[in-house]
Amino acid sequence: MTDPLVRVDGLEKYYYENDTLLDRLTGAEPEAVRAVDGVSFEVREGETLGVVGESGCGKSTLAETLMRLREPTGGSVTFDGDPVYDLSGDDLDAFRRRAQVMFQDPFSSLDPRMTAGEIITEPLAIHDVGTVAERRERAETLLEEVGLSADQIDRYPHEFSGGQRQRIGFARALAIDPEFIVLDEPVSALDVSVQAQVLNLLADMQAERDLTYLFIAHDLSVVRHISDRVAVMYLGEVVEIGPTEEIFESPQHPYTKALLESVPRADTDERDRVVETIRGDVPSPRNPPSGCSFRTRCPELIQPPGLDVPQATFREISDFRTRIENGDIDVDLRWEQVGDANREDRAAFVDSLREEAFDEPLPDADEETVREAIRALADGDRETAAATLRERYRSPCEAVEPALPAGDHPDACLLNEQPDDVEAAREEWEAEHDASGVGTPSQ
Amino acid sequence: MISPRTLRNLRSELSRSLLAKLGIAILAVILFIALFAPLLAPHDPTEQDLDNTNIPPLGFTATENQTTSEMVDGEVKIVEKQVVVNTTAEHPLGTDSLGRDVLSRTMFGARTSLLVGLFGTAIAVVLGVTVGITAGYYGGRIDDALMRFADVMLAFPSLVLAIALIGLWGQASLRLPDPLVASGIASQTMPESIVLPGTVIAVVALVNWVWFARVARGEALSVRDQEYVKAARSMGGSDLHVILKHVLPNSLTPILVLATIQIAAIILLESSLSFLGFSGAQLSWGFDIAQGRQYLSSSWWIATVPGLAIVAAVVGINLIGDWLRDALDPGIEGQGGAS
Ligand code: SF4
Repeated sequence: MTDPLVRVDGLEKYYYENDTLLDRLTGAEPEAVRAVDGVSFEVREGETLGVVGESGCGKSTLAETLMRLREPTGGSVTFDGDPVYDLSGDDLDAFRRRAQVMFQDPFSSLDPRMTAGEIITEPLAIHDVGTVAERRERAETLLEEVGLSADQIDRYPHEFSGGQRQRIGFARALAIDPEFIVLDEPVSALDVSVQAQVLNLLADMQAERDLTYLFIAHDLSVVRHISDRVAVMYLGEVVEIGPTEEIFESPQHPYTKALLESVPRADTDERDRVVETIRGDVPSPRNPPSGCSFRTRCPELIQPPGLDVPQATFREISDFRTRIENGDIDVDLRWEQVGDANREDRAAFVDSLREEAFDEPLPDADEETVREAIRALADGDRETAAATLRERYRSPCEAVEPALPAGDHPDACLLNEQPDDVEAAREEWEAEHDASGVGTPSQ
Repeated sequence: MISPRTLRNLRSELSRSLLAKLGIAILAVILFIALFAPLLAPHDPTEQDLDNTNIPPLGFTATENQTTSEMVDGEVKIVEKQVVVNTTAEHPLGTDSLGRDVLSRTMFGARTSLLVGLFGTAIAVVLGVTVGITAGYYGGRIDDALMRFADVMLAFPSLVLAIALIGLWGQASLRLPDPLVASGIASQTMPESIVLPGTVIAVVALVNWVWFARVARGEALSVRDQEYVKAARSMGGSDLHVILKHVLPNSLTPILVLATIQIAAIILLESSLSFLGFSGAQLSWGFDIAQGRQYLSSSWWIATVPGLAIVAAVVGINLIGDWLRDALDPGIEGQGGAS
């Protein structure tokens, strides 16, 4: 019961941009998009592992790479002991029978030119199972099992509703009696009322047929009832994984907590709910933040030793610093707003930007440091401005990359228990930065 | 492959559109004539009658400016000779400069045009769709290489290509015995073989396949990202399975529409190739236009009759193409259904 059926180990899938012939001739460096960036977990036989994350976190790439629809750039997947990426011939064939996928989009996941019967029997036809008549019979049985009726077998996908189409997609996944099904957001495109019915169907079939599921969703509430365990993904990494109840009752990682807080009541639009409620945008996987990838949005960002400002203030200061470092502040525009063509009234510039960037009150010492940085910015010296803030407000979260420790419910956050090497790196970093004059703003 | 829904669309569009019916009627008539030309034609199209050259169509008069010098009263006089119609229906659309019956020639010419149109398009479709789908489905380097090659082909003017190929192969043509004549159903005086102008067919196919490759590639590109393709691959479907079962069927509609339009274009191209003398066929609309061109001022019908036949065929086929496009396009990808 608890043997891992699927073991994912350090799986990586990078895409390379700027990799055309022209780019290579002009010597442009290929740019890696880290869609899946070192993911490890196990799926135990008979369980459902939920994988949750905002869109763009790499969960669908994870599913496709795991199913060997894409070749990984690193890491491995074993299925029932066999290394999936090394399979060929009959073994690969067997894997393709034992593991199936059900896709998200009720429209594009079914070929519009095939009938329901043809769609459901496609895996049987591919693997040459049974005669045409036997397959048809099987399709009829499956249609009834997924809650449709056998006489709909000759209908085309457009004659079905979204929920019915997903049932057909599920019947197709079941057709060849798999053991493992990857459910890639199977209900995300459906109305909330229909979602529950399809989820129930998935759960019933799992119980009936001893299926193992990997259930991908962008919404924690969807996986809650169907999953035994949940993995939370952020920017291509698993940041927390554990038994479903523990994840919901005592989330450890700040991102999981934020996701949980953002789980809304059923009446809000289910599409962008997560994106709306966690502050900031998901950073680009082309250029993920150093250290902890969640640090650009984390409400619990760790302050450097010796610093003690209110957490919300620290968040604002860090955001402000990021804006300066990325060159997101338009100095010319700011001077124009100040209305000083000669750029002499630095005080007005400083006040203007200070007011715009901070809602929270700043303690005196921090007020001074921030203003000093802005003064440098007013002179057009972005580097000094950034350095001023960096010196005082550098967080361990940007220097040390957290990792998932071993255990039943690990999470990758420096606030919590970390593997020994991460702890050691952090201690080293803090020792280095303790004496750097924090507490007295540099004048 | 053709779903009941598609048939329904075709039928309802046909009942709505007068032009579609017209197109089908025109093409049906031309097809009928081409098939049964040996039975329908009043004369052997190749039979010359030097006593009856340049006779105008029934009911028309023609002035033939023949400058003859005659001795009249011991003086040389230049006279203008007028030829007036024969009013018999022997040659309803007149004769050409060698006295061959224009109606019969035009009827037999339909065979060449349709054969070149159909075979040329068929080869172009097979070639273009194979290349296009391979390029679109595999993408990357394969795509780059194939489509570059296609672009180079496109950059060749068709006439240059034709000259090159004819230089290479000569006017290779295949002579197939005409079943109607061979079986004795039609008069034995009719030409006993149907000429399949091989070089012309090859040229028009080589000139036109690139269009099919482009359309097919675009379709394959969009189909290959559909989830049902991912699904088929995750079930273990081979590339061939995916291409034959999913990519091809879902790419066919625009290819079909393009094919009807290209048949018309190819018939035109065949005409110009024949007109320029590149075709081996001596019985083709384009050939007759070329023959008649020099008599245009005096005997306009020699070129005009086959010219009108080309216009009719092209218009008819294009009308059918429009019908197919209108009937097959809306909601073809299944987006129109209730959800
Ligand atoms: S490591 Fe730091 S930034 Fe990352 S989640 Fe934990 S507290 Fe937040």
